[in-house]
Amino acid sequence: MANKDEKDNNAQTAANPLSRKLNKILETRLDNDKEMLEALKALSIFFTENNLRSRRNLRSDIEKRSLAINEEFLSAFQAVKEQLDSVYSDVQAMNECCQDMTNRLKAAKAKTHHLISQTTSLHNESQKLQLREQVANAFLEKFQLKPDEIKILRGTRDGGLHADFFKALAKVKQIHSDCKFLLRTNHQTAGLEIMESMALHQESAYERLYRWTQNQCRQVTQDTPDVSYLLCQAVEALQDRPVLLKYSLDEFGKARRSAVVRGFIDALTRGGPGGTPRPIELHSHDPLRYVGDMLAWLHQSSASEKEYLQSLVKNCSANVIQLEEILGNITEGVCTPFKVRVEQVLVSEQDPVILYKLDNLLKFYHHTITQIISSEAALLTTVAEIQDLSHRMFFNSLTSHANRLLDKVELPPPDLGATSSLTQTLQLLRDVLACHDASVVRIDDKKQDYKQILACVIDPLLQMCSVSASRLNAVDMAAYMVNSIHLMNTTLSLYEFTDARLEMLNAQTEAHLDTLVSEQASYILNRVGLAQMYGSIQQHRPEHGPLSSISGLDEIAIKSAMNKFDSYLAQPDSLTLPQCSLILSSTVRASAKKRSVELVCQAYKQIYNAIIDPKNNYRDGQNIVPRTPEQVVHLLM
Amino acid sequence: MAAGPYNYSYIFKYIIIGDMGVGKSCLLHQFTEKKFMADCPHTIGVEFGTRIIEVASQKIKLQIWDTAGQERFRAVTRSYYRGAAGALMVYDITRRSTYNHLSSWLTDARNLTNPNTVIFLIGNKCDLDAQRDVTYEEAKQFAEENGLMFLECSAKTGENVEDAFLDTAKKIYQNIQDGSLDLNAAESGVQHKPATPRNPINTDQPPNKEGCAC
Ligand SMILES: Nc1nc2c(ncn2[C@@H]2O[C@H](COP(=O)(O)OP(=O)(O)O)[C@@H](O)[C@H]2O)c(=O)[nH]1
Ligand SMILES: [Mg+2]
Repeated sequence: MANKDEKDNNAQTAANPLSRKLNKILETRLDNDKEMLEALKALSIFFTENNLRSRRNLRSDIEKRSLAINEEFLSAFQAVKEQLDSVYSDVQAMNECCQDMTNRLKAAKAKTHHLISQTTSLHNESQKLQLREQVANAFLEKFQLKPDEIKILRGTRDGGLHADFFKALAKVKQIHSDCKFLLRTNHQTAGLEIMESMALHQESAYERLYRWTQNQCRQVTQDTPDVSYLLCQAVEALQDRPVLLKYSLDEFGKARRSAVVRGFIDALTRGGPGGTPRPIELHSHDPLRYVGDMLAWLHQSSASEKEYLQSLVKNCSANVIQLEEILGNITEGVCTPFKVRVEQVLVSEQDPVILYKLDNLLKFYHHTITQIISSEAALLTTVAEIQDLSHRMFFNSLTSHANRLLDKVELPPPDLGATSSLTQTLQLLRDVLACHDASVVRIDDKKQDYKQILACVIDPLLQMCSVSASRLNAVDMAAYMVNSIHLMNTTLSLYEFTDARLEMLNAQTEAHLDTLVSEQASYILNRVGLAQMYGSIQQHRPEHGPLSSISGLDEIAIKSAMNKFDSYLAQPDSLTLPQCSLILSSTVRASAKKRSVELVCQAYKQIYNAIIDPKNNYRDGQNIVPRTPEQVVHLLM
Repeated sequence: MAAGPYNYSYIFKYIIIGDMGVGKSCLLHQFTEKKFMADCPHTIGVEFGTRIIEVASQKIKLQIWDTAGQERFRAVTRSYYRGAAGALMVYDITRRSTYNHLSSWLTDARNLTNPNTVIFLIGNKCDLDAQRDVTYEEAKQFAEENGLMFLECSAKTGENVEDAFLDTAKKIYQNIQDGSLDLNAAESGVQHKPATPRNPINTDQPPNKEGCAC
């Protein structure tokens, strides 16, 4: 209700300012109005003196005072304001800056966006490219040569060869062969191109290698060649180019060949240091030593050359290298100097023994050197040729010796023994046959030689003996021939391979011996007077009647012959023919004696049997021939 | 092969002499093959073997010529003395006759080799001491009187075989070192291979000399 009143009041007071004022004052609740209290408090101390003037001036004083405060306030805020203004302007500037930066950033961002996307794509691309590069590098590594390697393959201007040349060459080969893989893939063009370039590299490398090798080979002319490791490798590598290899080895052969010739000539003419060993030619007066030293030198040199060659090609597969052929070429150079010298020796040598020794020496060395070089090599064919010549020279000399035997035939000596030409010839034969003991030739050769030598000597000897015996009587001739043949026989029996000859000679001895034996037997029978009787008895036929009735076969004649026969039995040697005693061989002599005695015994037996045969009408035949054939045999044998 | 460009820097030529059956071929075989060959066939004429040895850290190739001792081969084997740097003269300690023949072998060796040839006397078959027919002292004295090197060896057990061949090589090498052996002369029995090849390998060519490889 109050509020309604107040509203009514308010409407009244609004119309009356004083009432309004009054109302307002009345309505003021002072104890609640702190502000008012504060203001009153301040006001209370406002006056020092409470007087009218003060009271009158209160308002103005307060206003004054308020004014002063406001002025003070104003001046204080003036500074603040100024500062704020400056802050403001700073912030303003910053803002502007920021704005500017923002703008610029915006612009940059706008611009960078493009760059970033470009970078990203480039980055991706670069990764891709890197991968490709790796692949390409790997490819190049596998399919291309490094510059270094190319340089090595090209070599240096002076033609030298780098130690890594063979590694590089092997790589070229590897790449070339690897290209075959490429050809099977879809990189055929690359494959073909690389292949082509590798082939070119290879060709020029091989050519360089060949030139180098050839040059090296040309220089191996020292006594002992330097077969370097590099050269061995070169030769090994050239196996892929057989023609080039062949040319190189030919060059090696040529160099060695001249080295061997030089060495040979040095050994012949200069000898060792200070002349020991002496030059081989110093012994040219001693054919065996001269030729032997040359051959031994050739043998040793062939062995050494083979070793050098083998060390050169030690890394090569055997089938590529014509070792034998090269070795043949190397040893070919000495053929002529060797041949000339030996031929000179051979043609000026007369002595068949020396010739035969030379022949055997040549045979021996031919055999020995064949163990080192091929028998087709020129050196060995030369040795064989010279050996053939020596063989012919030997037989020529032997034959001419034999021919001289027949030119001037000696008469047999009184003892029916050997003529001096027989003795000499047999000594020569012994010397010749003995040569074989001092050398090693194949048994076949020896056998063949012996046959030929014997034919060459024995046949003319036999002929000579026959001619020389031609004017002798049969008995002398038989004894002389038996003696001569015996001497041949004893000579031959000391040697091998003479069996056939010995057999032939024995047969001839037999024939002559037969003559001698029958001559001896008839001589004995003649001397004891039994020859006539023996003849008659042999011719007697039963129809002639009994023997006792035939003239010359009467009892008395027989008895007287038997007496003589008895004295022969007592001294059988008394009736030996002088020719039989002259037989040199005791066995032949004994055999001659035995066989002639046998003949005598046979004759006696026939005579004896005839006489004691009752048909022959001898009275007391037993008394006429008191000795039985058995007793005779017993006495004589 | 990796050892260098050469397998060896010298070649020494040896000859082995002495009566038949003293064990020359067995000694050679023992030295080259390190084996005893009990049923060694008779030597026909001349045979040879090689082995590379080392003396004073030099590789030396020995080329050894083994001769037949039989009298009938004497003419042939005489031709092999020339140019030998070493001669091994062998007798059999169980057969006095082989020792008695030494002076004739020595005469051959002296006449047919060069003055620097090293002659080494070997009394072989020292494994057969029970059958000994020549005392060590006697042979030693013979060797000293004739200025020969001497060892008793056995080709069967290998005893001293290596030493005989190596000592000979050492002596020859020493002769080369002190200059008494002239390597340039032909037939000294020694051949020398230069230590550096005459055509050096072009490993380090200065690049400026190189032909342009670009
Ligand atoms: N117990 C023994 N026997 C040996 C020795 N050396 C060789 N022989 C034998 O002696 C024989 C002859 O040897 P070989 O070498 O042919 O003698 P060469 O004629 O001098 O060559 C052979 O039967 C060997 O077995 C050795 O040192 N001891
Ligand atoms: Mg032997």
